[in-house]
Amino acid sequence: VTGLAVAFWVAAGLYAASCVLYFGFLVGAPEGLRRAARLVLAIAFVAHTVEMCVRGVARLHPAASPGEALGFLAWLLTGAYLLAQLKKPLDAVGAFVAPAVTAMLIAARLTPSGTPNSGIGTLGRVHISLAMAGVSIFALAAALAVAYLLEDRQLRRKRLGRLVKRGTALETLDRLAHRCVQVGFPLFTIALVTGAMWSSQRAEGIRVEYAIAALAWAAFAVLLIARSTVGWRGRRAAVMTLAGFSSALVVLVVYLARAAGGG
Amino acid sequence: VAELVVVGISHHTADVALRERLAFPDGEVAGALAELQALPSVGEALLVSTCNRVEVYAVARTTPAAIGEIRRFLSGARGIEDERLQAHVYEHAGDTAVRHVFRVASSLDSLVVGESQILGQLKSAYGAASKAGTVGPLLGRCVERAFGVAKRVRSETAIARGAANVSTVAVELVRKVFGELAGKIVLVVGAGKMSDLAARHLRTDGASDILVTNRSPERAVELAHRIGGQARPWEDLPRLLEISDVVISSTGSREPIITKSLMKSVMRARRHRQIFLIDIAVPRDVEAAAGKLDGVYLFDIDDLERVVADNRRDRQKEASAAERIVDHEVGEFRVWLRGQNVIPTIKDLRERFVRVAQAEAERTLASLGEKLDPRAQDAVRVMAESIVNKLLHMPMTTLKTAGDDVEGMVVTTRRLFGLEEPPAGAVPANPKPATEKP
Repeated sequence: VTGLAVAFWVAAGLYAASCVLYFGFLVGAPEGLRRAARLVLAIAFVAHTVEMCVRGVARLHPAASPGEALGFLAWLLTGAYLLAQLKKPLDAVGAFVAPAVTAMLIAARLTPSGTPNSGIGTLGRVHISLAMAGVSIFALAAALAVAYLLEDRQLRRKRLGRLVKRGTALETLDRLAHRCVQVGFPLFTIALVTGAMWSSQRAEGIRVEYAIAALAWAAFAVLLIARSTVGWRGRRAAVMTLAGFSSALVVLVVYLARAAGGG
Repeated sequence: VAELVVVGISHHTADVALRERLAFPDGEVAGALAELQALPSVGEALLVSTCNRVEVYAVARTTPAAIGEIRRFLSGARGIEDERLQAHVYEHAGDTAVRHVFRVASSLDSLVVGESQILGQLKSAYGAASKAGTVGPLLGRCVERAFGVAKRVRSETAIARGAANVSTVAVELVRKVFGELAGKIVLVVGAGKMSDLAARHLRTDGASDILVTNRSPERAVELAHRIGGQARPWEDLPRLLEISDVVISSTGSREPIITKSLMKSVMRARRHRQIFLIDIAVPRDVEAAAGKLDGVYLFDIDDLERVVADNRRDRQKEASAAERIVDHEVGEFRVWLRGQNVIPTIKDLRERFVRVAQAEAERTLASLGEKLDPRAQDAVRVMAESIVNKLLHMPMTTLKTAGDDVEGMVVTTRRLFGLEEPPAGAVPANPKPATEKP
């Protein structure tokens, strides 16, 4: 399947290039790099879209296997970031998003794909797609939270590094991360419900990752409630977002490992 | 040959007392310019008088004489002994003078390298001199080129990046937290001069409301009036902290006014929305521990000064790149100036040759009388002129493209062909437009 390989390498190469550009921007290369980084990432996204279409023609559904799912996740994350980028200058955040996406895409395509899940059913597809969408939006929230924590630290210590000098304002990062959680949370909730239904359909027993998934859901639920009642934001919200996202990530990793192992 | 000269004092060479004495108020500039131009060795003149420098830029007919005349004018006009001024004054001529003008405009000679004020001051000085009619083509070209150099330096180097004084640094930091300042409320606690300045900066950056509170209500009202804010009672401080986003504090209190416990309850009440505290009071108004709270960003005067120092250091690093731009531009200007200096000689030379050729042609035609028809007569005239053109082509090209020996060549040419001395300080009547590259 050479067409697939070419499309993948083009997308991966462009993602890698955008990583270099974003990183260069962060460590103080000329301002012009900002635009170049944005442009290359956008082109990489287009290439990735084309790659996914090629895979679609080859009947590789995003939910067909863990590898496909991870590739889809990378695509969603990039799309979400580019969309957010349209509204606010988030170039410093791009320095976190671009490497994450690159790693995800490469891992998705170069790891053994495991046995394709043939009997996945509609419920399974809905569950996997929504879970991926939710996690990718949480990933963006997490990237924003990391940027927030690092900038906050620099400002507090009065050491104004590149991140503060070139980064996005704290209030903007906080607000955007919150928006991401607001959007990701309902998706993740439905994914959880459909997942439970799917699992009972297949008559599987209770697994560890269900508990972790519930933990991730609880973290985001607490965050949303605490924000609307007592006004949690800033550092605390960022830490909570990271906690929620890392739990969701653990679930994803366990799922992928299990699927790759064929179980 | 006409030459640019600079005579003046600046913060590098004179203390504020002397600068103050030498400064020219706006109203006296026009008169001073007229007097400067009336000096026997001075052709064109421009006077820059700011709190950091008093300088005269001029075109000298004879350089050493002009420099002396200008210095004596300055000491005479301000009643300073010439010897005293002589100890502090700097005098530049030729390339060094051009470089000085370029460096001043680019703010490389400023107290805070990269500040933009001096360019505006130079522009208004140029405007005043143009209005007074004391700027001619040479000085005009130099100063306009200086504006171009300043623009290049600002856009090609990072010399003006990073705020370089406490109040702008404060605004910059506030923007790191809030991004846009639109809709933000600024609270000024106490009525210090610095808070006045910072509040004004925040207002021009878009902050919507400025609230002022002070122990003495009269002074609060007075400051509020001055900066376009609203005075609020001192007792309302906790409530004011709840609704404000940026607080500038500069009271004379011996004890901290904004304590950690106060901020804790304030943060709860404001639902942990970020708040930026700028404490420029000594002793400090805000308890340091308050800055540890989530969502509270506290900068005291030392913190701000440190950021200022960092930024200034960064600017200084950029200065060498700026100096290279200035070097290059001085070179370009020199080339242009040389071209200008040979033009009168070339003109004289050509005039003399043409006059001789025409006279000879007419004499020949007169002696030939009616033997030639009008067409043949014209042919003789054309021939005479083209001989002149052919003969002059080489020497003119050589003069125009001459390098460092151009002045010697001009003198030699004038002596060889008996061209009388040009009027001192003469410059071409019609220089190239300033927008063109020299």
